[in-house]
Amino acid sequence: MHHSVTTNLSNGSAAFTVDPSLYPLDALYGAAYVFIDRCFVFLEKNAQGHVVVSLAPKKGPADQPTLEKWAGEFSNELLSCAWRHQIAANNKQALEQVTSLALAGAMGPPSLDDLSNFDFSSQPLEDPLGIAMSWEEKYKKKPKP
Amino acid sequence: MSTRLSFDKSLYAGKSVDEAVKVFAAHATFALEETPEAWVVNVTANVESKELRLTRELSNYALGLTVQSRGTSK
Repeated sequence: MHHSVTTNLSNGSAAFTVDPSLYPLDALYGAAYVFIDRCFVFLEKNAQGHVVVSLAPKKGPADQPTLEKWAGEFSNELLSCAWRHQIAANNKQALEQVTSLALAGAMGPPSLDDLSNFDFSSQPLEDPLGIAMSWEEKYKKKPKP
Repeated sequence: MSTRLSFDKSLYAGKSVDEAVKVFAAHATFALEETPEAWVVNVTANVESKELRLTRELSNYALGLTVQSRGTSK
């Protein structure tokens, strides 16, 4: 992201570019959504494919320090949104597992028909370290040669 | 006088732009165009002095709807 902020005082707006290869689009939307309450936000793409973010005040003209402050705050929000997006992506699988377990639990215990139709012959899980092996199986006495 | 607003298709949802135009239809005349890269809205405000504010409000509204539609479509 370019940290230089172009301020257009005649138009009362600040513009800066965001590199979409560094910040996902969802993070950009998240930051923009926070700011549409406070100022006018407009997004466009430049020739390099970077997103140009324009911020303009809702009430009256804004001076240069205010516009630059908004741009800085937007950058912080963008970073925060990008980080949250990354955490959500990392935890997606765990969240889906917990949710499916909770839903399965909420369905109640299996009926006798379900149990009778259950295929117990299939391997329940991969166990490369032999953790699920029974005690008897693991420590059974080996026949003497 | 009219203002040409170009909403990049990779950033704004077409439905959201249409919806925003409908919301502000009472305050301006809108001419819609489509280019390969953008949804283009030509805005002619009923009150010329309010055209800049109207275009900015329209952009904000379209952006808000775009973000919301992405959130709900996931």
